[in-house]
Amino acid sequence: MAPALDDLRALVTAYAAQALAAIRQSFADRTNFALQVGAMAVNNGFWLVLWFLFFAGFKEVGGWRLPDVARLLGIVYVLFGASGVFFGGYRDLAGSILTGAIDALLTQPKPILLRLLARDSIPSAWGDIATGLVILAFSAGLDPAAAGLSLAAILIGTAAWLATTTIFASLAFWAAGARSLSRDLADFTLLVSTYPASIYSGWTKFVAFTVLPAGFVAMAPVELVRAPSWQAAAIAVGGAGAYAAVALGVWTLGLARYRRGAAVAG
Amino acid sequence: MNPAVRLKELRKTYRFAKARRGLLGSLAGLLHPQFTHLEAVGGVSFEIAAGERVAIIGPNGAGKSTTLKMLCGVLEPSGGEASVLGFTPWKERRRLAYEIGVVFGQRSQLWTELPVRDSFALLRRVYDQPEDAFARRQGDLVERFGVGALLDQPVNRLSLGQRMRCEIVAALLHAPKLLFLDEPTIGLDVTAKAAIRDFIREQSQAEGQTVLLTSHDTRDIELVCERVIVINAGRIVLDEPTEQLRRYIARKLVTLQSAAPQLALDLPGVTRRPSEPHTTILEIDTRATRVDAVIARALALGGIEDVTVEDPPMEEVVHEIYAALHP
Repeated sequence: MAPALDDLRALVTAYAAQALAAIRQSFADRTNFALQVGAMAVNNGFWLVLWFLFFAGFKEVGGWRLPDVARLLGIVYVLFGASGVFFGGYRDLAGSILTGAIDALLTQPKPILLRLLARDSIPSAWGDIATGLVILAFSAGLDPAAAGLSLAAILIGTAAWLATTTIFASLAFWAAGARSLSRDLADFTLLVSTYPASIYSGWTKFVAFTVLPAGFVAMAPVELVRAPSWQAAAIAVGGAGAYAAVALGVWTLGLARYRRGAAVAG
Repeated sequence: MNPAVRLKELRKTYRFAKARRGLLGSLAGLLHPQFTHLEAVGGVSFEIAAGERVAIIGPNGAGKSTTLKMLCGVLEPSGGEASVLGFTPWKERRRLAYEIGVVFGQRSQLWTELPVRDSFALLRRVYDQPEDAFARRQGDLVERFGVGALLDQPVNRLSLGQRMRCEIVAALLHAPKLLFLDEPTIGLDVTAKAAIRDFIREQSQAEGQTVLLTSHDTRDIELVCERVIVINAGRIVLDEPTEQLRRYIARKLVTLQSAAPQLALDLPGVTRRPSEPHTTILEIDTRATRVDAVIARALALGGIEDVTVEDPPMEEVVHEIYAALHP
């Protein structure tokens, strides 16, 4: 096998081993796990009920009807859940930078960012996946084509979401207070992602496709499912790819700054 | 033969924004920050031969951890050169990582809620180790370090000493040629410290591993290392065989609480330090008199209410060495 393929295989198996260990660790406290999953399912269900009540009074919002919003929520919940289960370290990536958890990983051979993302698995994220899949099953049905498009949207959205949170967390390389700021920015992006794209216009749409890229996390991937076209696919994939490139660039710059000694050691 | 570690005028300077006084000062600092520089390591040079066990000691902020982090490839220096097993650590970090094992005493590389065995299995993937060779090595190390009964226990149920033994095994699983240990006995009780020291020394002797450790504990140095490098304020104060430094580090402080205001103890190598009534602080040169002999003599006097045995603070040891070199 070619050396590059060997390296890739070693990287994937190391990631898989770490993610598996993180998932097993999240199962260790069964009561905590069950409570978190249940609470998240209730929380997500309540949010859907609110939209159901809303559409009982108003038939549509800028062309979006209840099935459209349900599909949006289903995709967002699953991509958010998948990120939390398989890359849960994103949630406190800034904390990992600020507390020096990076140091031990820098003495080991595998890429730091992937290991930091895979070092944690969030129990409540299983609740997101479960509710998201149920909503998708009811809103999109079991049509294979629709399921395939939904899966593509979830993968694209997951990449955009992880890229976005990595950019926010990388602020910690420059600012000590970035731990809560990065989490607030991520939460705000998620909030923006759970509303129909049609309510945003003008500067709010500009923000949603730039600073808080909910547009690429949810809107563009969902549009690919609502009205599939090569153009929609290009926008979704291109946006996620561009943010992933920016995230890797910012992370690399930040890590170089860290290794130059941004923090004072003993 | 090439040295395992070679440093030439290695330097590290940190730059940080000065904190200004008052709210207005803080606002001005946001708009026009003023920077100040701290020289953590100021031109350090030394060589370590393959198989040598060396301690870097010094008070807090002396630059020992920064030096260690530069040698592991974690930090880039501000200047100078370093070669570790033929690699420049900050340029060839990933390739070097396969050849070194690192233990940070205050950070764990084990998964707290999973059995120890699972963390070891993960490290096999991290270091791309073949399954059979890895299993054999793990078996050898588990036997040597006596951690067989701990393998299936979650890490958060281990004592600190047991956890540290597992941490060291974890750092050795990929058969590194060089072991970096940053404060490996910090927070451990006396028995656990003694066991860890024995393990490190015996492991190095068995496999010819080079060991570089930093510590605040003079016993780590005395019982593990053949050579000591003393760093103070980022510079090397002394680089000598451990034997030469024994007069500074072979000391203990014994504090006795007694019913009598004063205790009369006259033994060779024992000096009295100023103290309050009913408290006697003795500094013991353990080359001349053993600690147990001093305590036995004190108990024989009667009326002893409490006994404490400590190492002299590292700051004091370094200060004495410094004073002896610059009278």
